[in-house]
Amino acid sequence: MSPGNGFRVDGAEVVFLNRDSLLDAMLRAGLHPTGGGCLCCAGDCPHCLATVDGVGYVRTCQVRAASEMSVSRDHQGGSYPPLSLDTPPLTPDSTGGPVRYLHCDVVVIGQGETGRAAAAEAEAQGKSVLALDVTEEAEVIGIYPGPLVVARSPAGMLHVEPGEIVVATGAAEIQPVAPGSDLSGIFTRRAAARLAAAGVELGRVVAIGEPPTGLQCEVVEGTLVRFEGEGSVSAVVVATAGGAQRSYSCAAVSVALGFQPRDVLARMANGIGGSLRVRVIGEAAKPADVPACPQEGIVCPCSQVSVAHLDAVWDRGFREMELVKRATLAGTGTCQGGVCIPYLRSFLADRGAELQSPFTARPLAKQRTLGEIAAGAYYHATPRTALDAEHRRLGAQMERSGGWFRPWRYADPAEECHAVREAVSICDVSTLGKMRVSGPDALELLERLYPTPVSTLKPGRSRYALLLDEKGYVLDDGLICRDERADGPPRYRLTFTSGGSTLAELWMRDWAESWGLDVRLMNQTMSLGAINVTGPMAAELLFRAGTQTLPSFGGHGVSRVAGVSCRIFRLSFTGELSYELHHAAGDSVALWRRLLELGDDLGCRPHGLDALLRLRLEKGHILVGQDTDFDSTPRRIAHEWAVKLDKGDFVGRLSVLRTNRIPLDRQLVGLEMESPAPIEGAVIWHEGEFAGYVTSSTDSPALGRAVMLGWVATVDGDATLPAEVTIADRPARRVATPFYDREGQRARVVVETPAPTASAVAAGRGRSNATSLPRLEEVGDGSFCRVSLSRVVATQAAISELAEVFAGEAVCLRVAADEILVDAPVSAEQVSDPHALVERESGFAAARFAVETAADLLRATCEWCLPESRPAFAQGSVADLPVKLWLEESHVFFLVPEPFALELEQRLGEARS
Amino acid sequence: MNPYMERKVELRWCEPKQSYDVVIIGGGGHGLATAYYLATRHGITNVAVLERSYVGSGNSGRNTTVIRANYGIPEAVRFYQRSLDLYQRLEDETDRDLMHMSKGVLWLAHSEMGVRQERARAEINQAFGAKTDFVTPEEVKKLCPPIDLSGGGVWPVMGGTYHSEGATARHDRVVWAFAEGAMREGAHVHQRVEVTGLTRVGDRVTGVETNAGPISAGVVLSAVGGHVTRIADMAGLRIPIRTHQLQAFVTNHYQLQFDPIVSSSDLLFYVSQTARGEMLMGAEIDRQPSYSYQSGHPFLRATAFRAMTLLPFLRDLRVLRQWTGVCDMSPDYSPVLGKTGVEGFYISTGWGTWGFKAIPASGEQLAQLIATGETPPLIAPFALDRFRRDRTLADRGSAGTH
Amino acid sequence: MSIKIPCPNCGERPLEEFLFGEVPVVPESITDPEERDFDRAFMRSNPEGPVVERWFHVYGCRRWVTVQRDTRDETILG
Repeated sequence: MSPGNGFRVDGAEVVFLNRDSLLDAMLRAGLHPTGGGCLCCAGDCPHCLATVDGVGYVRTCQVRAASEMSVSRDHQGGSYPPLSLDTPPLTPDSTGGPVRYLHCDVVVIGQGETGRAAAAEAEAQGKSVLALDVTEEAEVIGIYPGPLVVARSPAGMLHVEPGEIVVATGAAEIQPVAPGSDLSGIFTRRAAARLAAAGVELGRVVAIGEPPTGLQCEVVEGTLVRFEGEGSVSAVVVATAGGAQRSYSCAAVSVALGFQPRDVLARMANGIGGSLRVRVIGEAAKPADVPACPQEGIVCPCSQVSVAHLDAVWDRGFREMELVKRATLAGTGTCQGGVCIPYLRSFLADRGAELQSPFTARPLAKQRTLGEIAAGAYYHATPRTALDAEHRRLGAQMERSGGWFRPWRYADPAEECHAVREAVSICDVSTLGKMRVSGPDALELLERLYPTPVSTLKPGRSRYALLLDEKGYVLDDGLICRDERADGPPRYRLTFTSGGSTLAELWMRDWAESWGLDVRLMNQTMSLGAINVTGPMAAELLFRAGTQTLPSFGGHGVSRVAGVSCRIFRLSFTGELSYELHHAAGDSVALWRRLLELGDDLGCRPHGLDALLRLRLEKGHILVGQDTDFDSTPRRIAHEWAVKLDKGDFVGRLSVLRTNRIPLDRQLVGLEMESPAPIEGAVIWHEGEFAGYVTSSTDSPALGRAVMLGWVATVDGDATLPAEVTIADRPARRVATPFYDREGQRARVVVETPAPTASAVAAGRGRSNATSLPRLEEVGDGSFCRVSLSRVVATQAAISELAEVFAGEAVCLRVAADEILVDAPVSAEQVSDPHALVERESGFAAARFAVETAADLLRATCEWCLPESRPAFAQGSVADLPVKLWLEESHVFFLVPEPFALELEQRLGEARS
Repeated sequence: MNPYMERKVELRWCEPKQSYDVVIIGGGGHGLATAYYLATRHGITNVAVLERSYVGSGNSGRNTTVIRANYGIPEAVRFYQRSLDLYQRLEDETDRDLMHMSKGVLWLAHSEMGVRQERARAEINQAFGAKTDFVTPEEVKKLCPPIDLSGGGVWPVMGGTYHSEGATARHDRVVWAFAEGAMREGAHVHQRVEVTGLTRVGDRVTGVETNAGPISAGVVLSAVGGHVTRIADMAGLRIPIRTHQLQAFVTNHYQLQFDPIVSSSDLLFYVSQTARGEMLMGAEIDRQPSYSYQSGHPFLRATAFRAMTLLPFLRDLRVLRQWTGVCDMSPDYSPVLGKTGVEGFYISTGWGTWGFKAIPASGEQLAQLIATGETPPLIAPFALDRFRRDRTLADRGSAGTH
Repeated sequence: MSIKIPCPNCGERPLEEFLFGEVPVVPESITDPEERDFDRAFMRSNPEGPVVERWFHVYGCRRWVTVQRDTRDETILG
């Protein structure tokens, strides 16, 4: 053996030899990591713990020594290491470290010949085998339902999904329990042999029980009584069969007291339901030896529990294994019962309880740091609208709201409000939920879902509606808009609150399926941008942008704005003349910039969410989620006008009828008081009693006072609401909403269409960007860009036909039985279903990767098995984002909804590095 | 020498009788506390608590031991503040060391909307006697220096609330203190006695069937966690409860250096240091109903990552153990307790993720109900019939995590 | 990550890719329509054992899958 380098222990250099563990080298230098206790050199006991390179609770016997390592003996005498509270922060791209997702037929967990033989046998049967061998520093931390085997390897964390698990983890040697067992110089038999083989000088060794191999020692007969010595062992006392005690002087003791199978993983695996195949082989499968009940000494070194302690709690009524554990905390330390379980069992059996099973086996079988465990974790991604970079460029403070990044304010929200009230302003409302509905039963579906009549809605018109759940509580609100065309079954566009679109989609699909209705649904939230143009000069701005026709209040229609095809909805949340421009997301930036340019001299500036919330509050418009609770009935939020109980059955109708018969307890009302406005959440008092709280509150510059929405309890159990209340120790009045422009004249102002000016005609000739986006097949390697695709929702048969028509000509991604993405223009005439929804769509971003790169990326970011055939389509979670994959022989295309593209690109970049 | 060893409590077991005035199903904190308050406040001691495993084996021994009253509605703030007050006095009252430590709860917001919610929390708390103040990021840093206010550059801390009376206590100690106190007064606690049916005469529940034979009772209280639907079925009762998994994990033991309980609604985790020095972390319930005690890796990984984001020092700590409890959720995230409409049968359920902090108040109030037959005002809002009466309790503050 | 749900559009997928949806079961003994509606809205059978439920594949096809799952051990029964 040649000398190696050195590492530092508490600042002092310790030299190590090749293949030394940290423990080997420390013992050679006369240092016991924790000061004393029987060492096992097998990772089972807590006696070789130390802090290594800043990480505490490292078993030094399991770590190969290397130069530059820094060891602190923080665990001496059972003490706990300090917290290093000044650890540097995570960076935004931290993901915890690398992880690999692997699949195999058999995973063999263990060490030694039994495991190796099992692996060889499985391989000989043609199975794919993964061997996780602790001698190669692969440590299994847990077996989870699935099954999923999570292991730590020198290369990073491994998440393995095996068909079968073979546990060949061997057995741990039972530790001695006797006075003096916390001295140094005590070793299990295997440890003594291992250290001797490593060339560690142990001095005069006495062996109790079977002697260690490869080592000169004195073998003594009898049972262990105690160890003697100061700091380190100098003698061991044993009792012979006759009862006589005899002392043997020594420098080290080897103890062989039997075995406890290392069956934590086996028990963990067997605790998992389903058809998980687990085989436990070798020593791990043998029954545990039950040692003699100890007379005195420390049973649990982690929690310093002695036999006397066990007796004390036993005598006071703690007579089950679990109660003894909880009362003494034996078995709850870092070795998780590795040392004490055999003795707890023998103690309880000796005192008269039945022989009890070990504690439930729980992860972690091997301890790893939070940092290691977090490998492959991601934050919940926050999508960004197509205008996200524009907002940031304009200096907006961004806010996570409704699950999206939204501009909270650009500068002064009061000025933003002023622009809306007095001039014109634009707001990015792309986050609104947007859904198309068609099909023979489209009207039937909406009629049954919404509490408002839908059949009376005329073509080209829209209507505000609540969405109720079965309890009659408000789930969401938005618009129902009927398409313009008057022939055939009606088609609809629905809007929902930001963040409400997934809930609305799954809600609609669930009901449509359970009612067996024939409908087509297309969620366009991610693919359509929306910009609200609002203010007295909103129409002026749109005319300047070359818009030829604008819908009247409550109407909607298609028109071009600055050359971009838009569906314009005339409605108003701000209370001013407003046009909401829905357009292909790929056109958002061009449209936004053009509107700001054209409106510059009108005073046009963007407004953020903060201003929007104030403006709508002046109008008394509720915000679902802020002003509503999860048990808000239409009556409670004073929206009974939005419910027609006699229109036929709808979701929540019986609940609304039922609750309407019960006296009203509280209502959401309008309130006003002198400025300053109280905070949102301020408590409302009535005659000294709690009456409710404020849900929305703002100082209204237009009205010169504070306006609020808030919950107010009814008086005396009838429907009477107090007229005067107290908020923040000041008087407030209940008033009708809206606070501002009660008659709604500003929002409903009639707009005349002027003759187009030459500059307007020129502005209208702007070009749509979305139509010139690349096709999927045209995207480049590695970096994501927005692509143009055709999206079709139709009957299963029509989709299958379409797929055949385009087979070989264009990439077709069969998203679902009734939905397809085609990488080519598709016209409605090409789809045999007359109710089909056909859209040219710019809501996806795509990138291409060479197949080897893609395979590496996917092994590091997703756990599912990819299809083996080519070409193939797959979709699911990649880096915790909803990704679609088109797999060809040499390339893989990654598609992701564009609002997630930046996030995906970053996450794949991290996975690659 | 281990200072955390239980050194005083004495549990006196005895054989079940055939009849009691009160039979309580479930030997967790809630059942035992009810027996304790029946005995100590009302002198009712002919009481049996039936536990199918060992005392405290369910959620009482699996929870994360947070005591707080910073809820979002007056009914809950009042109730949990009562419980918090009882907890503060419980060590003196029982003369037992419950390892009760006032450490404060710091609830962090990472958005303008989150800040708004925390301001609202402080308002409603102060109005009903809970000590909660809004705090700025600078104050957050003072209260808990290890917090990275930038949130890893991704989840910046924009404010929060500090609930100064927030506390922890050792769960097992609480269970045993109530068990011992009840036993000392003469109440019986029976382990390994499982209820298999309810005996009914007409519409009235008159006792229980058990694996140890029938036991008749003046009244029966179900204080079980996790399997309450099974017990309710025996009484012919439909209840609005779904059972879900709730998971947690601890690191190894470290020196006591970390003070408050830190919680984040956006990042969905909370963390505290136990009296023994473990860093303890939890998150929200799993969405799907489950009775499985099997722990999962997704929870562990995600929670570890989120916790590291705000508290970077956690990164190098080693995780010791993870575990799972099952908790009973009601549709409005508030407990269901009191009368059931079935004569002689009371219920205490719907404790979701906040059962531990409610133990003393729930025990005290249910004892009063059982002793007097009248529902005390403090728990009247939580009655089972509130769903039928359209008086659900929309507490967004409790729809959280612990 | 690991319990798998069979999605007819996307194959076997990790449970984490789905959103949970309940299928309320109202006992046949309840016959009054309003009573059934109330029970469906609020009351739960909360069975310990196999239960039919719906999972929405939000990371994939965005369609519902109906599966049977055992609430005792979370096993997906198909």
